[in-house]
Amino acid sequence: MTISVKMMRRPEPEKNSYLRATLSGMALTFRHLVNPAKVTLQYPEEEADLHARWRGTHRMEVHADGRPKCVACGLCPTVCPANCIRLVGGEDDQGNRYPVVYEIDEFRCIFCGMCQEVCPVEAIHVGRHFENAEYTRDRFVYDLDRLMEQDHPTTLLWDPSDPRSE
Amino acid sequence: MADTITLTIDGQEVSVPKGTTLLKAAEKVGKDVPHYCYHDGLSSPAMCRLCLVEVQGAPKPMPACVTQAMDGQVVSTESELALDMRRGVLEFYLVNHPLDCPICDMSGECHLQDYVHEEGRDHGRSREPKRVFGRDDFGGDVLFYGDRCVMCTRCVRFMNEVEQDQRLCVVERGNRSVIDTFFERGLEGTHWHDNIVDLCPVGALVSKDFLHKARAWDLDHTPSVCPSCSQGCNIELHTRDNLVQRLKPRENLEVNAFWMCDHGRLNYEWINHGERAEAPLVRDQGGVKAMGWKEALTLLVARLGDVEGTVKAVASPFASNEDLAALQALVESLGGGDIVYRMPRAEDEIVLKGFPTLARRRDLAPNGRGADLLGLRRVGGDDGTGGLEDVSAHAGVVIVLGDGLADQGADFASGAALRVHLGTRSGPAVATADFVLPITTFAEQEGTFTNHEGRVQRFWPALNAPGLARPAWLVLGALVAEGTGSETPRRADEAFARLVAAHDAFSGLSYDDIGTRGAVVNDTVPLSGD
Repeated sequence: MTISVKMMRRPEPEKNSYLRATLSGMALTFRHLVNPAKVTLQYPEEEADLHARWRGTHRMEVHADGRPKCVACGLCPTVCPANCIRLVGGEDDQGNRYPVVYEIDEFRCIFCGMCQEVCPVEAIHVGRHFENAEYTRDRFVYDLDRLMEQDHPTTLLWDPSDPRSE
Repeated sequence: MADTITLTIDGQEVSVPKGTTLLKAAEKVGKDVPHYCYHDGLSSPAMCRLCLVEVQGAPKPMPACVTQAMDGQVVSTESELALDMRRGVLEFYLVNHPLDCPICDMSGECHLQDYVHEEGRDHGRSREPKRVFGRDDFGGDVLFYGDRCVMCTRCVRFMNEVEQDQRLCVVERGNRSVIDTFFERGLEGTHWHDNIVDLCPVGALVSKDFLHKARAWDLDHTPSVCPSCSQGCNIELHTRDNLVQRLKPRENLEVNAFWMCDHGRLNYEWINHGERAEAPLVRDQGGVKAMGWKEALTLLVARLGDVEGTVKAVASPFASNEDLAALQALVESLGGGDIVYRMPRAEDEIVLKGFPTLARRRDLAPNGRGADLLGLRRVGGDDGTGGLEDVSAHAGVVIVLGDGLADQGADFASGAALRVHLGTRSGPAVATADFVLPITTFAEQEGTFTNHEGRVQRFWPALNAPGLARPAWLVLGALVAEGTGSETPRRADEAFARLVAAHDAFSGLSYDDIGTRGAVVNDTVPLSGD
């Protein structure tokens, strides 16, 4: 079998103008500039509209007096499939059970949201939030104070009007 | 046999001795009838009404814990009527029992939680406010959460019947009834009160020591033997994160029934002590050097071969039978010598009046009897110190096993040609030894203790040993093997087999025979000091 080779005819250098191609390219650019159906989000000036069930880094809810809502029941470290929550319970000066140590390793976390689902007092939440950049890795282990400082919106794991997805 | 009757429980025929209760008979066919007030070690008042079962021919459901089985009786524990009764009783319990499982220490091992989960309603129907009592300090190690109480009165009956020191009672009536102490007297000064924490089927009585420390489902349970006195109570070590979190009694009717004393229960922090000898340390002209086992033991065998003179050894009654026998084998292979041990002793025994064979014994170590049976000599005073003058003045080889030598100074046995120390921790008298070999505690190794009556009981490893620490029987066995050309024992049961072969008192015993219940030695050597 013989092999047929198609020879491409190329314009000779020096004898070719790129003007037409440039203009058609620019025309496309300007068309997009005024096109109402544009898709590019002007981040960071514009905020992304995250889905209600987006699951990002955690946040701990606090009582009005600033105490964490967590009662150190131990269900979240038990249910956590990635084993990323470290919890040591204790008793505060008012006799309430509270977390002496509560740490979440956000690198290890797989953002399944089961900690929020299992929490009996609605203390730990995953957040609708994605801006987590840090300069060092150790900043990704969020301790209790850090979790309580977070103020981003929390995730709706289910639609309250249809909790069983029926 | 005339004394045996046959009845039918849930369609299964079962033969039981006459006088057996329906609850026990049902247990025999594998049916666990829910119950609160009944406990094997206490009387049955039949007041929790949870063990109601349907008996054919009886006009109403019968409480299984007090109803004696009769010949030909047909009982069903899972009929519609029985289930309905239990569902109703459980619902009544939840009228007042708070749903504070997330902050309750009993959560995960709570009987109310289990029963309601299995047979109770999905949702409560009571709209009335629950009664609130708050928390009360009962003294000693016990906290009382009155709201959670289900009024089974096991705690009251334990104090009255078993400890026989009436400290608790039920005050008020009906819905308002609550367990209380007599004025401010509390449980302070009693020695067995932590057993009521075990007895409490819910989280009403909790241990202050264990408060909020760990969740029940996080704990690993390892059968063991209490090391705090020579009674040898069967216990479970509850561990998490390689630390002992609490001790719980393990049922053994021949030793401690269901109980253990507070002294033993709360004396576990030493097991978790962090500062441990972790690598073999060898002293030569250049100072102390840490090295691996093989290197250290090779050096030690060479030194033992070089040194002239007899051997004197100090053992510890906290060491297992295997460890002590291995020490004895080593001393014998070096030409024989005196082995002594020191025993801390309490002023007097603390007997549990309702179960008088159980007491906190005077010897505050688990294996004094084992040491006596192996022919070790007890020296020193009742505080576990002194008595080592002739060992300290010895010029030959001095071997110390397990004894921390806390009362001895850095000049201990300074005249000895060779000093070998096998221990868990360092100290002034330990640091000057020629060889310091790290060994494990009883919680980190397998072995046996011999209790005061000569019962050999096994314990199992619950923790990982730190660093290079190894069981003493393995280290000593390797030294004996090196010296005599025999095999090193690889497992604890091999070490025990050697002990059995060498000592008549233990003959005929094996790990399989001992099992989890223990086995008594042949000899009855009187315990020294008694």
